[in-house]
Amino acid sequence: MMISQDLFARFQQRLTAAGGEYHLVEKLEDAADVIVTHSALEEQRLVVPPKFSERYPWGALLPLLEAKNIRIEEAQSSASVADAPAGLSHAELAVAETGSVLLAENSLEARVVSMLTLTHFVLVRADDLAAVLDTVGERLQQLTRVGPDQRHYISLVTGPSRTADIERTLTIGVQGPKALCVLFVKDWKAQP
Amino acid sequence: MTLQDQPSAQHQIAEERTEAAQVALVGTGSLQQRLSEETANPTHEQQPFEERLHHALEDENLPRALGRFAPSWRESRQNVFAVEENDYGSEYSFPSLRSRLRTAKDYAIEHQPELVAQFKRQAEAAGAIVYEARTAEEANRYIYELCHRKGIDLVVKSKTMASEETELNAYLEERGITAVETDLGEWVAQLNHERPSHMVMPIIHKTRQQVGTILTNATGREISREDVAEQVSVIRVEHRKSFLSAGMGISGANALIAENGTVMMMTNEGNGRLVTSLPPVHVVMAGYDKLIGTFADAMTQVRLLARSATAQPITSYNTFLTGPATPDKEMHIVLIDNGRSEMRADPRFKDALRCIRCAACANICPPYQQVGGHAFGYIYSGAIGLVVTPFHHGLEADAGPQSLCVSCNACETVCPVEIPLPSLILDVRRRVVEKKGLHWIKKIVFWLMAHPRLFGVFTRLTSMGQWPITHGSQYIRARNFGLLGKLPFVKPLVSLASWRSLPAFAPTPLRDRVKKHEISYSLKGETSSRSLNLTVCYFAGCMTDRLYPEMGEAVINILEAAGARVVFPQQQSCCGLIALNSGDRRDGLTMAKQTITMLEQALEKNRADYILSASTSCVVTIVQDYLKLFEDMHEEGWLKRTQALAEKVVDFTGFMRRVVLPGNVALPVRQPGSDTVITYHDSCQSCNCLGLRSEARDILQQVLNVEVHEMPQSDVCCGFGGSTSIEHQAVAERLLKNKLKNAESTGATILVSDNPGCLMHLRGGVDVSGRPIQVMHLAQLLAEHLQ
Repeated sequence: MMISQDLFARFQQRLTAAGGEYHLVEKLEDAADVIVTHSALEEQRLVVPPKFSERYPWGALLPLLEAKNIRIEEAQSSASVADAPAGLSHAELAVAETGSVLLAENSLEARVVSMLTLTHFVLVRADDLAAVLDTVGERLQQLTRVGPDQRHYISLVTGPSRTADIERTLTIGVQGPKALCVLFVKDWKAQP
Repeated sequence: MTLQDQPSAQHQIAEERTEAAQVALVGTGSLQQRLSEETANPTHEQQPFEERLHHALEDENLPRALGRFAPSWRESRQNVFAVEENDYGSEYSFPSLRSRLRTAKDYAIEHQPELVAQFKRQAEAAGAIVYEARTAEEANRYIYELCHRKGIDLVVKSKTMASEETELNAYLEERGITAVETDLGEWVAQLNHERPSHMVMPIIHKTRQQVGTILTNATGREISREDVAEQVSVIRVEHRKSFLSAGMGISGANALIAENGTVMMMTNEGNGRLVTSLPPVHVVMAGYDKLIGTFADAMTQVRLLARSATAQPITSYNTFLTGPATPDKEMHIVLIDNGRSEMRADPRFKDALRCIRCAACANICPPYQQVGGHAFGYIYSGAIGLVVTPFHHGLEADAGPQSLCVSCNACETVCPVEIPLPSLILDVRRRVVEKKGLHWIKKIVFWLMAHPRLFGVFTRLTSMGQWPITHGSQYIRARNFGLLGKLPFVKPLVSLASWRSLPAFAPTPLRDRVKKHEISYSLKGETSSRSLNLTVCYFAGCMTDRLYPEMGEAVINILEAAGARVVFPQQQSCCGLIALNSGDRRDGLTMAKQTITMLEQALEKNRADYILSASTSCVVTIVQDYLKLFEDMHEEGWLKRTQALAEKVVDFTGFMRRVVLPGNVALPVRQPGSDTVITYHDSCQSCNCLGLRSEARDILQQVLNVEVHEMPQSDVCCGFGGSTSIEHQAVAERLLKNKLKNAESTGATILVSDNPGCLMHLRGGVDVSGRPIQVMHLAQLLAEHLQ
C-alpha cells in the first residue's frame, strides 16, 4: 500500500502541536525500542488491556518488551490502573487532518489504560492513517452499527489531557494522561 | 463540555507535578462531605440583574481577564480556519463549513420527530434507556428518582450546560444527594457557589489568586495562589476517590447522532471519559436541539466547535457512546424539551436550535467583555443566552441582560451555524418592551421622531435655546451646566455629558443649507469631468441633517466633484433605526413607511440611479431591518416595495469604491500634509452588516494617496450602540475609552469612520478627554482635500 509521507508529516505536526509524541517505525522491534527507552518506562512497568498478547499484530510486541525486563501488567480494575506510569494500547485508525487516534475498546479495563495511566502509548498500523475526518465518520458509522461487533465506547483522542480553565494558562495533564505517544508501525505484518 | 486553547507562545505550558498524582489514591478526607456541608445553603437563586451587573462593573479583574482573552481568541480563531482552508481547500473554509452544518442542523430541526424516533430506536437497541422530559422539573425528578431507587448518594458530573439549565445540582442537593462537578472550572465555580460565567470557560472571570483561595478553603490545605500547575493538580487528587466511589456519572452531549443512536461528547481534561466510564450508571442530559442526522454531520460539527470556541483545531477527547459503555452498566439518556418545542414552532427562533454552544458569540461580544456572563445572560450567556433565555427561563429573566446588547452584529459573523443572533435579540427586546413598556423619555423621543414636522420644529427650537448648555460650541458639555445641573431633571443629562460631550443641534440643519447653497453645489459639479453620468438621491439621516450638516455638505461636494447630480428630498426624516433597535416597533414602523414612501417618490421624480446615504446604520436599516420588519408583520406589499427600493440603496463608502473609483473619475484633490496621520474605525454596521473592510482604505489610498495607520481592534464596537449608551453608560464609556486608546496608540491626528453614530460618540469622547485627534467622516476628509 502506498504511504504518503505528506500525511505522516501532517499527522506529526498536528499531534505535536497538541502536545503529543510521534514515532514512525519500520517493525515491531523498533516500536519495542522506542517504548523501552522512553522515560515513562523508568519503573520498567507497562499496563496493557486484558488479553493484549492475543491481539494481532500487537501481541507479538509483549515478548520483545519482556525480553528487555519490562513487567507487563494486564489491567485488572480502574483502581489498579490509576496513575500507573505507562500504558499501551492500539488504535483502529489515525487521522492526519487533526493528529488524532481512534480508540474503540468495549471493555472498561482496556479503556482505562488510555484514561488513567500517566503516559499512554498507542500503536497504529501505518496503513491505518486516514487523511481527513470524513474517513473517521465512515469508520464510526461501521463500528457503532447494531450487532455483535458493535463498539459502545469510542474516543477520538488528540494529544494528552489539558486544561486552560485558570487564566487561560495551558496545563497539560489534568485527569487523563499527561503524555500521549503515538507509534506507527510500517511493516506490522513482519512478526518477530 | 470544556474546550481549551491550543498551545501558543503566550501560553505558559505548565507540567503538572507528578508527586501530586502519586498521592491520588490516598484521598484527602471527605471532600463529598465538605461539599454537601457547603452547599447546604446553595446560592442557586439568581440575584437580580441590577445586582449582578453592579458586581460585574465593580469587579476589576473581570474586564482585564476577558480583555486579555478576546483579542488573542479572535486572532487564533481566524488562523485556525485559515490553516484548514489553506491545507484542504475552500470546502474547509469557515463559510463552507458553517453553511454545511447549518444545513445539517436545519434538517434535524425540520425532521425532529423522525430523528428522535430513529435515535431512540438505535440507542435502545444498543441497550440505552431513553427518557423524554417535557420540563426541567421532569428531567431533574427522573434523575433524582433513579438515584433514590438505586441508593445513590454521590454523583460525579462532567460539564453539562443542560444540567445548569435545569438547575439539577440544587435539586439533588435539596434531596440529600451530593453532585460533584469534575471539570476544573465548573468545580471551582461550584465550590464558590457560582454559576459558570461562560459556556466553555466557566471561570474565565477568576484570577489565579482567587482560584488558589477557593481551593485552599475547599481542601483544607494550603494551595498556591500563583502556581496554576499546582492548582490544576489538586483536581486529580481530590476527584479520584469520587470517581471510584460515585454511583452515577452525569454528562452532557455535544450531539445526538440519530443514525446509530450515538452520543457525542467533547472534552479536554479527560474527566468526561471517567464520568461516563467508571460509575455503574451513566446519565446523559441533552436538549432536543442536540440531534443531528449522521456521523458525517457530526464530523462537520467537530471541525467547527473547538475552532470556534477556543481556536483549538480539535478537542483532546471526542467520545462516541452507543449504548452502555459495558454490558453491566446502565445508560439513561434524558432528552429535555423545556421550551424547545416552543422555539421550534416559532418561524424565527427555531434557528436558535442550531446552536452548538461554542460561545464564540460571547467571545466576540464587546459588552460581554466588560461585564462577563453573569450579567450578560442568565444561565446561558453570550448572545445566544439572550436569545434562548425567554424559552428556558422566562422573558423576565432576560429583561435586564438583553438591554446590554449594543446591536453591533459581531456575533453573527462568527456563529458557526449562521444563527441571526442580532435580529433575534431585537425580537426579544421588542417582546420585553411590549410587556414592560418603554422608558418615558424614549417614548417621547420616538413619538416625536415619528412626527417629522414636530421633530423639525423641536430641533429648531432647541438649537435656538441651547446656548446655556453649549455656550455656542458644537457640544453640550457637563461643565457648561453650572447651577442648572443641580436640578433633578437636568442631572441625568449632566451625567450623560460627563464622559462623552453630547452634540449640539446645528443652528442651520442640512436641509436648509442645501436650499441656500443649491447653486454652488451644482457649480462644483460643473467643474469636474462629467464621466459619472448619473443622479444620486441623497438620504442624509436625521443625525447628519440636524447635528452634523457639514458632514452632509461634504458628501454632496464629493459626489458632485465626481460628476454626479445630487438631489436632496426635503421630505426626508428619521429612518426609524433608533426606535426599532429599542424594541419600539410601533413608532419604528411609522418611520419605516414614511421613509419608503419618501424615497420612492424622490426616486421617481428625479429619475435617480441611486439612493445614497453616508450613514451605514441607515443603509442597513433600509436594506436589512425593514425587510425583516415587514416579513414579521406580514406586510407583503411593503415588503415588495422595500425589496425593490433596496436594490437602489447604497452607502457612501461602497459607492465610492464600486462606482466612483472604477469610473476613472479624477477627483481634484491635494494630498494631505506629511504630518497627517490617519487611523480608521470600522463601524459595526459597515463591517459586520455590509461587509465593508478594505473599501475605505482603498479609497484613501487611491484618492488621497495615504495609508491608514491601523489601530488594534479597529472593527470592535466603539460603544455607541444606539440607546444602549444611554441605558448602560458605564459599559459604553469603557468601550469608548478602549477605542480611543487604540486610536491614540497609532499616533493618529485624524480618526476617520463612515457612520455618524460612531462619529458622534467618538467626538464626544475626544472632547471630554482633550485628545488632539480630529474625528471626521470619510467624506469630510476627502472634501477637505478638494481643490
